[in-house]
Amino acid sequence: MITCPHCKHPNMEGALFCEECGLSLWSDPDEQASTRKLDEDSNEFSVKSGWGTATFREQNEVIIHVRDADEPISIRPGVEFLIGRSDSSSGINPDLDLTPYGALEKGVSRIHAALRRGEDVLSIVDLDSANGTYLNGQRLAAHQPRLLRDGDEIRLGKLVMHIYFK
Amino acid sequence: MGLTGFEQDHYATLGVSPDASDEEIRQAYRLAARRFHPDVNKAPGAALIFREVNAAYEVLSDRQRRVEYDAVFQGRRGAGPRLSLESLYSRRYVKRLDEPQLLYVLLKIQPTQGVSVRSDAPLNLCLVVDRSKSMQGVRLQHVKSAARRIIDASRPEDIISIVVFSDEAEVIVPAQHPRDPQGIKALISTIRADGATEMLAGLKAGISQIERNLDPRYVNHLILITDGRTYGDEDKCLELASAAHVNGISISGIGIGEDWNDRFLDELASRTGGSSAYISTSEAISRFLNERVRTLAAAYAERSRLVVAPSIQAELVSLTRMSPNPMPLPADEQPVPLGTVDGAGTTSIVLQFQIHTREAELGEFFVGRVEVSGQVLGTGRMVDQAVLDLAIQVTDKQIEEDPPPGLLDALNRLMLYRLQERAREAVEKGDPEEATRRLEYLATRLFESGEEDLGQAALLEARRVAHTQRLSDEGAKRLKYGTRALLTLFEDEK
Repeated sequence: MITCPHCKHPNMEGALFCEECGLSLWSDPDEQASTRKLDEDSNEFSVKSGWGTATFREQNEVIIHVRDADEPISIRPGVEFLIGRSDSSSGINPDLDLTPYGALEKGVSRIHAALRRGEDVLSIVDLDSANGTYLNGQRLAAHQPRLLRDGDEIRLGKLVMHIYFK
Repeated sequence: MGLTGFEQDHYATLGVSPDASDEEIRQAYRLAARRFHPDVNKAPGAALIFREVNAAYEVLSDRQRRVEYDAVFQGRRGAGPRLSLESLYSRRYVKRLDEPQLLYVLLKIQPTQGVSVRSDAPLNLCLVVDRSKSMQGVRLQHVKSAARRIIDASRPEDIISIVVFSDEAEVIVPAQHPRDPQGIKALISTIRADGATEMLAGLKAGISQIERNLDPRYVNHLILITDGRTYGDEDKCLELASAAHVNGISISGIGIGEDWNDRFLDELASRTGGSSAYISTSEAISRFLNERVRTLAAAYAERSRLVVAPSIQAELVSLTRMSPNPMPLPADEQPVPLGTVDGAGTTSIVLQFQIHTREAELGEFFVGRVEVSGQVLGTGRMVDQAVLDLAIQVTDKQIEEDPPPGLLDALNRLMLYRLQERAREAVEKGDPEEATRRLEYLATRLFESGEEDLGQAALLEARRVAHTQRLSDEGAKRLKYGTRALLTLFEDEK
């Protein structure tokens, strides 16, 4: 028998989440977050993160690690920060141009997604991209902003990146 | 119904190699009989497996019949089954205890590596569209433009039909290859909203359009789009779905807005291995339909089904398909229709067992057998069958092990869906306090998982239940299909 530390519900041996309140009975998720590595190898199952802080203040910077890239990208997003790949023929010039990271081959749209700064939060919104925007493995519905947390994994088409707050 | 005659893979059923000796076959039969004989094992899945085991033994223990069987399956013997199964266990070692314990298994079904995957199976598709009065305006417009897009995207070998229904059904586009897309699109434009929702007539007409070209080389599928409830003919609709499934037709349901009966549409679809979905805004119809049709066209195997036969020391508690098309599956009715196995991705299912180790011997513990069968497209009428025996180790002391991250992730998502289900059950049995508490737990867990919007929706419903003792129709569907969508396991990056 495993007694839930939160709601005291008696759970059967072998339970991984409390049947009553849903608390993880296996380990403290915060501990997992602190042991997460920057360049974690997620080719088997992507690890679900989402436990980092969601607070993003005026003075914070965003560090973007594009997978397999040498240097992280550091940005200070404004109210709306466009991510995509530039295209001279249509005059599209996003704030972050991912062309140097193989954006075209990886299915990044010219106007793919945007970071939006709110009051002490940062969110990401998919701009109806052809191949989708994924937050921690989940496809986002177009035009529906979702809060970002420190350490989140974002995938634009097939281009994977991690977001850190600094 | 079990697999019969030459369609069954007798070697896989008995778990022996095609060159097994008579003695090996006899031993395999005895072991299977001890595990699955209906006198000792009362689980519904076990009876099915035992029937197949018997049929296999009858053939393979008779020299003459085995030679005949081998002659027919020469081709298959070399390649092995074209479906492969993989399992992840929440624990590999369990301590022997007096009390029952839980064990989770994540089952992954995939095309066997190295087998050339056909991902361009032609569709035999019928759209059955509710054109009742309530569909008038934006909803019907979006459905019509979605239908036009499907016509544009169709390939010459596909067969498409469109049926509309209100008080009665009308075949707008009879089953045909889309040789004249403009003509078909003109027909779609003639659809007008009027009348009530009489689903049975629509389903009947749709199924008969598909049956005109019923062919195992095709993906035979019906997509039902509705925004309302059908009254009085629900049971007949369900019977019709079961019959369609036997003939190799699967059904998926799409509900628009708040007024349709989600449980009914779930049941209708799950009887055929299909799934149901909720669309809150009409704008999403087109994207959703496109995605569904694209998935169908990437089918690897059709008419697939799952049998789970727990051992006599285990019970199957629940069964949930995580991807594609997340959906709880019936654990007590076997076999379970799975519908389409996707060629591009993995079909993932979580099995929850309760195991009894009190009288178990130390060492290997047999949990049960899973069998997945289906018709791999482009291979004729033959059924491919994959069998996996699940086993863990029973020990006399606790062994600490980390559950596989993939399984933990799946169970975290499943937990959210369960909390939602139990909140709804609490409302239905008239216990608003319990329901409120569960909704608040759900909200907490959703926020923790970064699902702010759904978390807010759960909080809103918690307040609503506390005041009115009811969930809103919209909120109930949003939470159900919202947490269900979270179940989808994303692909391993290849």
